[in-house]
Amino acid sequence: MSEPTAQALIAQQQRRQILQQRWRLPLAILASLAVGFAMTAMVSKEPLRAFLTLLTGALPRLQWSPEEGWRLLRMVRFGAVIEDAVTLTFLGLAVALPFRARQFSLGADGQMFLAALAAAAVSLYVPGPAVVVLPLVFVAACATGFAWGALPGVLKTRYQANEIVTTLMLNLIAIQFYRLLVSGCLRDPGAGFLVTPLLPDRLILPLLLDKTNVTVMLLLAPLVVGLAWLLLMRTTWGYEIRLVGQAPAFARQAGVPVERAVWLSMACGGFFAAFAGVHISNALLKRLPVDLTPGLGYEGLVVALLARNEPRAIPFAAFMYAYLRTGAQAMERTTDVSREVVLVIQALMILLVVSERLLPRLAEAWRSLVLLRRGAP
Amino acid sequence: MSISLTPALALQGVSKLYANGTLANDNVSMEIAAGEIHAVIGENGAGKSTLMKLLYGLEQPSSGRILLHGRACVLRDPRQAIAAGIGLVPQHLQLVPSLTVAQNVVLGCEPTRGLGQLLHGRAAVQAVSTAAQRFGFQLDPHAVVGDLSVGARQRVEILKTLYRGARIVMLDEPSAVLSEQEASALFASLRRMAEQGLTVLLITHKIREIRSACDRFTVLRGGCVAGGGNAQDFSDAAIGAMIVGRTLSAASAATPARRPPGQNAGALVGAHGLTAKRADGRVVLSGVSFEIGAGEILGVAGVEGNGQDVLAHVLCGLRAPSQGHADIDGAVFTSRGVRRARAGGVAAIPEDRLHDGVAPAMSIIDNAMAVQYHQAPLSRRGWLDPAAMQGFARGIMARCRVAAAAPEALIGTLSGGNMQKIVLGREIASAPRFLIASQPTRGVDIGAAQALHEQLRALRDTGAAILLISADLDELLALSDRIMVMSQGEIVAHFPARQVDPGVLGGYMTGALHAAGAAALLASPFTASHAQAHHEEQA
Repeated sequence: MSEPTAQALIAQQQRRQILQQRWRLPLAILASLAVGFAMTAMVSKEPLRAFLTLLTGALPRLQWSPEEGWRLLRMVRFGAVIEDAVTLTFLGLAVALPFRARQFSLGADGQMFLAALAAAAVSLYVPGPAVVVLPLVFVAACATGFAWGALPGVLKTRYQANEIVTTLMLNLIAIQFYRLLVSGCLRDPGAGFLVTPLLPDRLILPLLLDKTNVTVMLLLAPLVVGLAWLLLMRTTWGYEIRLVGQAPAFARQAGVPVERAVWLSMACGGFFAAFAGVHISNALLKRLPVDLTPGLGYEGLVVALLARNEPRAIPFAAFMYAYLRTGAQAMERTTDVSREVVLVIQALMILLVVSERLLPRLAEAWRSLVLLRRGAP
Repeated sequence: MSISLTPALALQGVSKLYANGTLANDNVSMEIAAGEIHAVIGENGAGKSTLMKLLYGLEQPSSGRILLHGRACVLRDPRQAIAAGIGLVPQHLQLVPSLTVAQNVVLGCEPTRGLGQLLHGRAAVQAVSTAAQRFGFQLDPHAVVGDLSVGARQRVEILKTLYRGARIVMLDEPSAVLSEQEASALFASLRRMAEQGLTVLLITHKIREIRSACDRFTVLRGGCVAGGGNAQDFSDAAIGAMIVGRTLSAASAATPARRPPGQNAGALVGAHGLTAKRADGRVVLSGVSFEIGAGEILGVAGVEGNGQDVLAHVLCGLRAPSQGHADIDGAVFTSRGVRRARAGGVAAIPEDRLHDGVAPAMSIIDNAMAVQYHQAPLSRRGWLDPAAMQGFARGIMARCRVAAAAPEALIGTLSGGNMQKIVLGREIASAPRFLIASQPTRGVDIGAAQALHEQLRALRDTGAAILLISADLDELLALSDRIMVMSQGEIVAHFPARQVDPGVLGGYMTGALHAAGAAALLASPFTASHAQAHHEEQA
């Protein structure tokens, strides 16, 4: 066998790693869909139709009628996909940032609830033109999320309190506090149930798509993703966060302020969760009900896992997740397959995506076979 | 030496091609007779570790055969290797510190059949003491492993393999962590094992050990067998030439040009009574005082675990001393955190490169800038400058002749030597006035070690003070101007590097000798180089 230089070998290895990275996601998705189909086939009388519904149910349908010409149907459904994807993008970022510093913060839920509360409160009580108040809404929400995210960070760096425990506990506190205010001083006495008054129209984010709640938040999301990427990759704070996450002992040895990186990463997580809060209060619901369902934050965790904590991949992971969820609802409604099948597919997908070695192993075996055969005399 | 006709272990045309395209072993054939001590020697990356992994079932050969006592065998995992009578003593010992020697030895295959703990314990102790006696190991089966010296722990690991029925014992760099005395005790035990018909396979990169302790040897270079034969038939130089495939440059062979003594009158760095305690109150560093002049290298010799790591941590700011302080030109830098220490001109090469020295999953760029990332030109007002970062990494790679495809490559894909070159390059780039170099060439091949030594000398010549902590006596003797010996957290001797005999150093390192109240200040007297003279002096 000829002797390739060390440089060529390293370059080759890098190319292969990048290739594997690139193929991992599509392969993981395909594999989990295949298993999902097998499962559908077992439980359904018409698996093909059920599975097609799952895959295409979330898409709008183009219809032509002689009276009205071309029309897009089912926009509500597709709108739901985009709305969910936007929320999940923010929540994915909220989880991914602390993860990059190796902090398993699960506080996105609480941060989002409090940020939504802050956004609603400012919207309801601060008078003035939208140009002034709307930025204020964002500032209030982000500051709240940042502070609520920083809290477990400080608890960790000061008192070595495990962040998994503190963030979960703080979630409970935040959600109960939210319920207290919504059923108390923020309550709309005229409504028949526990809910805040409708937020003023001028503070509801402008719509982009008719018949949906898709607002300018859709355009803001890529900007926020870009912001997260810039923060991580182009600032010294982001570098500190990455270094602490990758090699904490080394970071300490190099003189990196490890404590600051830890709490800052968690606070930034709260900052991004706040956008999800604003999206819920000032775009999707336009008022806050007392029974806003907790648990969305954990879906953000799933999205972050699927995107392997890479900010730029998070919107795609969020979209895929939302797409499958809406497709699953359609499948449940129109076929004999329940949505649990989709939960299994999702779980499989996550398992396959996070199994770093799974695909490389297969590729490795194949490569050595090929190389050996070629190299054999 | 009785060499039977069938070798105990034979490799026939064994190749190992890793999936990343590295051909770690290329058509390796060798035979090892029963009852011999056989050394496999080579630089880092020569394929020694891979060979060991193949023999222990951790990796599978891509082609070729492994023959045990003449029979081809397939070792799918370590369990099969152990069943086939192959034992491995790893370089980093894997023992349970809170268990006794006997408990550690029998761990995983305890002599019990559902009987009470008492019987189990007694049988274990008996088995261990029998085995220890047979091979001349001095070990108390009841001793708790955490209290033992590294040498004794290594003997426990060897017993562990023997207890599991090993007939072929592989040792991975066994002397790396031992003092001279401990190493010779180890080799005596190995000889005894060989005399009783066991086969010993020694993986090493120390030429000296081949001729002093082995019967035969095989040299690996670039994954191929580059030579071998009877240890007594070759000179050190001949073996060295086989290992590197070229003659070592004159720089390493000749005594290095040292700064003339007395040229640097004042001390640049001073440590005064540094003391540190563990959380449980045990003193691990006790009243350590030394001075280093500008352009001087002070070597620290000592068996590992005698406070060198604590000293390094205290000096680089990771840990505050409970008493004492250290200063550069009178400015105290201890107890102020790493960043303040570094701002004061301190730099450090940590001992555990992969854990404390680099972030393996990050790029060369990210690793190269880890110390100076917050300063211009790498960043301004909190924003990183990618072009400057890349240029900075390229500069270090060029200066230290790092073999890597691009600065964007993950540093974890580099060899240990190239990785260490970047670590040293990074520390030197911060223009330190005081460098703490802990084991700077550990696990690094000879060529890279030479390059690293040159860099250290160059840094010294710019007027920096260097504290060189190393377990490699040859390295200490070649680089240092003065050497201090640490034992149990104290300085126990202070020598001019040129006039000290490794044997004497070893005596102090193992605690056999002790110069009370020794310090390594510039004005401190040197410890007498001969034990006898030392006693006379005291009398």
